[in-house]
Amino acid sequence: MNVLKVRWWTIGIFVLPCLLLYMMMVFVPIVISGYTSLVEWDGIGVNKTFVGLDNYVDILFHDPHFWPAVRRTLMYAVFSMAEIPICLLFAILINRYVKRGNRLVSIYFMPVILSVVIIGQLWKTIYNPLDMGGMINGILNALGMQGHMRAWLSSPQFAMYCLYFVSLWQYFGYHLIIQFTGVQNIPSDIYEAAKIDGADGFKADRYITLPLIVPVFKISIVLAFIGSLQAFDLIMVMTGGGPAHATDVISTLMYNNTFLTFKYGYGSALAMTLVFICLAFTFVINGVFNRIEKKVG
Amino acid sequence: MRRSEKKALKKSALLLTAGALAVGLAACGSGNEPAANTGGASNEAAANTGASGGDSGKKVTITFQNIYPDETSVTNKIMKELVADYEAANPNIKIELDSLNTDQQKLKLKTQAASKEVPDITIVNPAAQMKPFVDAGVLAPLNDMLDQNGLKDTFQKGLLDYYSFDGNVYALPDGNNIEVVYYNKDLFAQAGITDVPKTFDEMLEDVKALKAKGITPIAIGEKDTWTGSFLFMNILLRTNGGPGFLQDVMDGKKDFNDPAFTEAVDAFQELVQAGAFPEGATSIDANAGGNIFKTGKAAMFIIGSWETGNIDASSVAGKVGAFSFPTVNGKGDVNQFMLAPGSGFAISANSKHPQETKDFLNYFMTNFPKKKFELKDAVGLGQVVEGDFAAAGYSDLAVGILDLFKSVSGGDLAFDNTMNPAVAQAHLSSIQNLFVQKVDSKQVAKEHQDAFAANK
Repeated sequence: MNVLKVRWWTIGIFVLPCLLLYMMMVFVPIVISGYTSLVEWDGIGVNKTFVGLDNYVDILFHDPHFWPAVRRTLMYAVFSMAEIPICLLFAILINRYVKRGNRLVSIYFMPVILSVVIIGQLWKTIYNPLDMGGMINGILNALGMQGHMRAWLSSPQFAMYCLYFVSLWQYFGYHLIIQFTGVQNIPSDIYEAAKIDGADGFKADRYITLPLIVPVFKISIVLAFIGSLQAFDLIMVMTGGGPAHATDVISTLMYNNTFLTFKYGYGSALAMTLVFICLAFTFVINGVFNRIEKKVG
Repeated sequence: MRRSEKKALKKSALLLTAGALAVGLAACGSGNEPAANTGGASNEAAANTGASGGDSGKKVTITFQNIYPDETSVTNKIMKELVADYEAANPNIKIELDSLNTDQQKLKLKTQAASKEVPDITIVNPAAQMKPFVDAGVLAPLNDMLDQNGLKDTFQKGLLDYYSFDGNVYALPDGNNIEVVYYNKDLFAQAGITDVPKTFDEMLEDVKALKAKGITPIAIGEKDTWTGSFLFMNILLRTNGGPGFLQDVMDGKKDFNDPAFTEAVDAFQELVQAGAFPEGATSIDANAGGNIFKTGKAAMFIIGSWETGNIDASSVAGKVGAFSFPTVNGKGDVNQFMLAPGSGFAISANSKHPQETKDFLNYFMTNFPKKKFELKDAVGLGQVVEGDFAAAGYSDLAVGILDLFKSVSGGDLAFDNTMNPAVAQAHLSSIQNLFVQKVDSKQVAKEHQDAFAANK
């Protein structure tokens, strides 16, 4: 495939810096992590005991917190991905009906540029109990719905949903901007041609916008999926995984095991599990979209 | 051909991106290879003989990691003053402060220890909490430095034992405290409470009376799980009829299914059920929890005596008294307290300037109690202070606390200072759970026993 008409080593020289960096930042840590996951180690001492796959067996069969954390992580992903069609709908509507859509989209984008710590603190205050100035409880109180007031982040039933919501709120603008750009990039002559053929409005969306937006849609889905598997900072700021593991996801569980319980090997095994889950689901998502692309394209 | 190639490329690019993002996270969990050599003692000895005084001309920077980031706190002020004084007297020494919250510092040190990059001076916690660091050889013994300028004799008798392993002292405590119940006299009066509770039942009555008046009975910030545990352990100290429950468990004489333990869990749940704690306590961090009391919104605050100075500096100053945690179901002795030997200053075994660091820490610790006394923050100090507290203008609260200190006839260390980190974490989250739902005490006992058995 000598299309570029340059020597192989020229390519090599240009590729090498990135490749080295990538190897160092990605492959080496993953290999070390893979090794650490096979030992029992407190993270600071020299006493490492090789335990084979014991850590993985413990995680999969004996850890009462692991499967609930996986469930919460996947729920996180499902919610994040479910948000994207809504973003697309907004993008289409804004593109069609709003004169200076860019401005509106920029406003939606604002939460994304705020630091997660700030967002976490902000929403923590919003979720606070009434006597600590919580806004939601304040509104419920004003509406006479005292029965629905609660300490949102301290409720094992609701805390996780409160966290999902903050994430959805923050990343709405992010996915909206991606979808909006995607919609804008569809050449207008296609729509004009379709108009002549009698396809207008939502009909045009169905037969032109949707098929052409699939690649952009896929990017959003994958980003949302991986982003939510890694969800960590927001949870750490708002609940720290509490109360009593009720908001633990895989990443916070890993962090707590590694750094608070001094179980480095176990934490690494959790990290590796997360890597495997990421890879497996990326395959699945890719497969699904290839099929969709084939169908509509 | 080209199409499929492009597709394959796209696919692998996507996979790689996914992988990269995932691994970025995984990298947090992966450890650095430990250096083949533990460093520790041999390194230390070599450095000692070589470095003493020899470096005087060179510019030396000492990193001082600490847990006093709050600019308004007395200890922060003292630290900065002592550092400035020392730098003025020793122009070749520069001391770089790395001030972090307690929890952040714990984590940072942990990661630093994993890569053998412990700062020259750092903070460790007594007994079981610092043991992994001592075992890993990342801390330098301080025996020689303690003998200089009579520093060793300034410490209270027996206090350094919590920081000693195999005859070596590895850290110097910033305090020595006991757990007390602070109470707001005005709020007690508002609820018609005339005397401090002597029994747990009286305390429950008071909680209900306060609650009825719309006053938060007991301030706590349970997002930082140690706060609830510290309170729970005080109840256990009573139901067990004295100290040593955890030690007995570790020695195999008792286990967590013991009635003393389940009784303590039940008593603790009674407090929760009576609405003793602020709503949403598990999402309030420890500092914010304390502020509920210090802004006069809560009637009691059950915490280490280290808060005395801060309370005296807050808006409720003058209205606060303190008493010892009451007996529970007629059990326990009010002269026994949860003991809290403070966080300790330790020196890295791999410090590039061991002698300078030791000299500075010696200066720091020798002058620490004097400054503390001057700034009226000497309650709960681990070192002996010369001087009359009342005459020096200490508050009634401070003098009251000092009287409680005199009554101490024994006690227990906090859970995480006694048990290993894995068991401690299980305990902390098990207690946090009690704040949000009612759990059968047998179940709580089982959680503890399982965690203990799995992490012996």
